[in-house]
Amino acid sequence: MKRVLIVDDAATVRMYHRGILESGGFAVEEALNGIEALEKALEANYDLLLVDINMPRLDGFGFLKEMRRQEIPQPPAIMVSTEAAARDETAAYRAGANCYLVKPVRPSQLLAHARLMLGEAGR
Amino acid sequence: MALLRTKAVEGAVEKAVPPGAKTFPGAADCEELTAGLESSNATERRQAARDLMRCPNAGAALVSRLKREQDLAVRAAILTILIRLDDPAATAELADCLRSEDVALRNEAIEALRELAVAGDRSGAVPPVLACLLADPDPDVRIFAVNVMESVSHPDVERWLIEVIENDSQVNVCAASLELLCEIGTEAAVDPLVRVKTRFASNAFIQFAADLALKRIVESDSR
Repeated sequence: MKRVLIVDDAATVRMYHRGILESGGFAVEEALNGIEALEKALEANYDLLLVDINMPRLDGFGFLKEMRRQEIPQPPAIMVSTEAAARDETAAYRAGANCYLVKPVRPSQLLAHARLMLGEAGR
Repeated sequence: MALLRTKAVEGAVEKAVPPGAKTFPGAADCEELTAGLESSNATERRQAARDLMRCPNAGAALVSRLKREQDLAVRAAILTILIRLDDPAATAELADCLRSEDVALRNEAIEALRELAVAGDRSGAVPPVLACLLADPDPDVRIFAVNVMESVSHPDVERWLIEVIENDSQVNVCAASLELLCEIGTEAAVDPLVRVKTRFASNAFIQFAADLALKRIVESDSR
């Protein structure tokens, strides 16, 4: 079972994304901010990251950059944000994201992108 | 050099008054400290920020520097002093940082506004600033305003959130409000929650969050 780490400070969003991913057969863990996510990424290997941008303590960009700086192997990362502005999309790819989705994400959209990132498109 | 001057000012003030007494440097000293914020040396800028704690009108200068400051330690010092100063003008300026393209600065501003609210917001500046931000034309700014509300214990918070889910046309602003209503919503939110579900009938997240809020309200009522 593929493991996904959801990094988001909003409990409702984490619950929503968890429900979608679990229904798609993924095992899900959660982190409330970039610092907590870094700690989890040091302890375990994840197949996919689902990362919010705006979070307290360490935002999504900072988290991905810090992973790189600490040379923690980074799995594919989907960045999600409420900001549809192109400025953040560009910054997300620069920070190391592989995909950028605008909230609120549709269940089918999230599952399709998660599978695509894992090379499982079409399942 | 600026650091030496800063320390000299601090020393002079400390010698002139008994320990524990509230002291304010003169206008000229505050001007000198403000100038220290522009030093090319990060340690001097941080020291100047700390010393400006004793200059009640320093908020605008501190926020101005914050918007350009790249050194994390100086940014942290400025934010700490801004929270302690609790200056209404500075709070409004801080709220302006929510429009920044710098994600870190935006998040720092959100955190500082939350901390101001938690720390008591003695000046009472946070709620009116938030009410104003909720009417901002930029939906992202409205979302950040809702994010700050999480820490604001003001009697109107639920009413503001209800107004958002009743009237805001942007789905993500409503989504942010729903997240908070899941935590603080009361019976007053029930009908608006039902209506927002109808308004965004095809949006899965709105359905999920509104149902969750309704469930929690019913559960808390039955306790």
